[in-house]
Amino acid sequence: MLDDRITLTVNGRRVTRPVGANYRLLDFLREELMLTGSKEGCGAGECGTCSVFVDGRLVKSCLMPTLKAEGASIQTVEGLAPRGELTPVQRAFHRTGASQCGYCIPGMVMAATAALRANPEAGIEEIKERLGGNICRCTGYTKIFEAVEIARDVIAGRLPAAALEAEETAGSFIGASVRRIDAPAKVSGALRYAGDTVMPGMLHMAVLRSPHAHARILGIDTAAAAALPGVECVVTAADVPGKDGFGVFVHDQPVMARDRVRYVGEAVAAVAADSVETARHAAALIAVGYAPLPGVFDPAEAMRPGAPVLHDYAPDNLVKHIPIRKGDVAAGFAAADLVIEETFATQQVEHAYLEPEAGLAWVDHDGVVTVLSPSQNITHHRHMLADILALPVNKVRFIMSPVGGGFGGKEDMIYQGMLALAAIRTGRPVRLVFTREESVTSTAKRHPARISYRMGLTREGRITAVSFEMLSDGGAYGMSTEGVMRKAAILSLGPYAIPNLQIDTRGVYTNNTPSGAFRTFGAMQSQFATESMMDIAAGRLGLDPFEIRRRNMMRAGDTTHTGQRLDSCSIGTVLAVAEEFSRWEQGPPAVRGAGRGDTGGPDTRARCTLGARFRSGPAADRQEVA
Amino acid sequence: MLSYDAYRRPRTLTEALDAVAALPPGARVIAGGTDILPWAREGRAGDVHVPVLVDVSGVAEFRGWTRAGGRVRLGAATVFQDFLTDAGLRRLFPAMPFCAIWFADDQIREQATLAGNLVNASPAADGTPPMLLHGAEVEMARRVDGAVVHRTVRLADFVTGPGRTALRPGELVTAVIADALPGYGGAFEKVGQRRSLVISRICVAAAVRVSADGRRFDDVRLAIGGVGPVPERLGEAEARLAGKPVTAATIAAAASGTAARVASRSKVEYRRAVVEGFVAAAIADALADAGHPLAVGTTGEKADA
Repeated sequence: MLDDRITLTVNGRRVTRPVGANYRLLDFLREELMLTGSKEGCGAGECGTCSVFVDGRLVKSCLMPTLKAEGASIQTVEGLAPRGELTPVQRAFHRTGASQCGYCIPGMVMAATAALRANPEAGIEEIKERLGGNICRCTGYTKIFEAVEIARDVIAGRLPAAALEAEETAGSFIGASVRRIDAPAKVSGALRYAGDTVMPGMLHMAVLRSPHAHARILGIDTAAAAALPGVECVVTAADVPGKDGFGVFVHDQPVMARDRVRYVGEAVAAVAADSVETARHAAALIAVGYAPLPGVFDPAEAMRPGAPVLHDYAPDNLVKHIPIRKGDVAAGFAAADLVIEETFATQQVEHAYLEPEAGLAWVDHDGVVTVLSPSQNITHHRHMLADILALPVNKVRFIMSPVGGGFGGKEDMIYQGMLALAAIRTGRPVRLVFTREESVTSTAKRHPARISYRMGLTREGRITAVSFEMLSDGGAYGMSTEGVMRKAAILSLGPYAIPNLQIDTRGVYTNNTPSGAFRTFGAMQSQFATESMMDIAAGRLGLDPFEIRRRNMMRAGDTTHTGQRLDSCSIGTVLAVAEEFSRWEQGPPAVRGAGRGDTGGPDTRARCTLGARFRSGPAADRQEVA
Repeated sequence: MLSYDAYRRPRTLTEALDAVAALPPGARVIAGGTDILPWAREGRAGDVHVPVLVDVSGVAEFRGWTRAGGRVRLGAATVFQDFLTDAGLRRLFPAMPFCAIWFADDQIREQATLAGNLVNASPAADGTPPMLLHGAEVEMARRVDGAVVHRTVRLADFVTGPGRTALRPGELVTAVIADALPGYGGAFEKVGQRRSLVISRICVAAAVRVSADGRRFDDVRLAIGGVGPVPERLGEAEARLAGKPVTAATIAAAASGTAARVASRSKVEYRRAVVEGFVAAAIADALADAGHPLAVGTTGEKADA
């Protein structure tokens, strides 16, 4: 065991502290000094949420062993401005709204500060490049870059300090750039996410996950893990007192695998110990006996008779089938001058929010089991957890911590149950912070879909009939599949008025990573197919792609194919704006080619070149006179 | 997660050599440390416990660089960022600013050492091809009967295979010694899964010097990485250009055939398709960097990453 102390200067204060054997500078700042403005988004130097200055150079503190910083002077986001004040860079981020979930923002502020310290006159290309080591997932880079340019110009005196203040709203907020109320906490690093939260006596959790896609669990031997010094408890499905099952629509997923694992990465057991290192070590000591079962990894195969069955309640592996029928499809195709048939496939997508899943659970003085986590659905989680723990609902409390990006990926209660069980068992607060790898391998993804599409049109481009069949891989558990299938079906044909149609969406169990909620909730997959069909049809009929959409679009007063009357309809406006702003060259798709006028104009990106900081200088400055 | 029982930070070369003289099995030497921490994670090595980490980044003798005649001695602590921020290094290593800018972001470049990149000996190491242009040698030191013994081997001989080098137990890289190439234009072409912060699939480095009127190739140096077990110079293509007129045709002729160098076992067709384009693009970019760009329209678009 490492028994070292380190002395260094942090934000102007000299500190001497013991160092954990696994502590990176990031861990030291967060766990030892409670400077949680530096975040861990990836642990591998990719994302920049952990950026700090070490002796004036910005580095990624997740890539630095703490002892490397012996004697160094560290500046973190907390040290940029005196308490209660903000630097011009931070104020500019506040001004432009460059702080959505806020998780990447302290790192972005640090990178922006470093960029302007390195070159106070940096142009936009150089700013982008100097922020290149920092990733954002929800703010979007435009507001961030805008903020850095404003800060640069204010610092240089080209813009008045008022440029950092709120925009005048003149009585109405509509159309005005309104500052976010929560932005100061985000740009200063003060906001605490679940993984930043500590409680006295807090334990740390590590989860043992399945290496098998489908296997029977023969036994789980936790003795060696439980005996490890520092381990307070090991929990498995056997510890669940109530009705073990959660899910958004069907409660088919146990808190931890019960008798069977159904995907690689499924939680099998969890350890609570006095350090993350001990908990991880103990989890590795748990011996699980598995008898591998045949798996099914393709949704079409999963629907065939004789395919491995994942859940007894669904012998056909079908999670949900949503059919929609309208008009006379056969007659519609008979009336068509052109029938197009295509198939489309989309892939799994990871949400990749910068805040990995994290939570903290404890049992309060009244015996109320409390879970703090970035849950996107706390009321539902509360009710499910009460059933799982066999407690009245008023003995379960959920607190929603700030969500460092969710995009639907934090709707499922995949870890809160384990935390609650461990808190009950130990009587102590227990925290779990997913690693990035754990977040990628074990949490829900966007549904991969296969779509068979048939569309009939008249010569004039009016759609006469559509047959739309979508098969989605729901993965091992139901999660949001039912809702996603519903939304995919409802929104499948886009904003188009179609007299005759048949729509079928099906979500199917497989032994793949579960699919769940993800922005658009299924509409992205289905509308990708519909919009592609519109372009294909425009090409085949010699019509302008905007025009064919106008000929088919719904209008105010129309009724959608699920029976909703539309009092207003904005598709016409959307098309007009898109056409104007894209500098569209009218005509069928085939007429565009070398002469297209929409590249190289304003708002378009130039070809990738790196090296803005030295490309702008004259080449001659690098020539040496011999 | 990487954990260790002891962390040593030698301050002098002799302290460093003493620290590595009798390391227990599993001990590791680090400089910037930017490779080892991501390595000790799920999906790669998993949780790793090592008995000793020896951090040589603070060794006084490893700092800075000196020039002696036509050669430059780069201390082992030289980081990639130095090739962007140090005007002297930029002048003498024309391809390195381009290599550095593609290698990683500013923050990783501040930590990652050139010597560490060479010692890791990845077939796709970005630092190796540009250093081959400079006829680099790797200087090493070890303790022999109490005395500090130095030796130097050519970089081409230092990297013996994927992850393998000529470094002996108890030996440390102390410097990289390389040709100074003032007056050359430099270029570095790289393609990976995205545009930076990513391991190269293929990279090509070039340093080009032309005659005073810019019409003839005087000296062309080309090196390639990611297409075989070790990066290497493209001697044949270099020879085909020396003394030839600076035209798209001579460049195309020299680039043709370089695809044959692809010896990787994966993505062979892709790599072959990219290599010739990269060689031609690297030469064109190096000419532009030297202040003698090819006339517009005489070369194809540079392959996009």
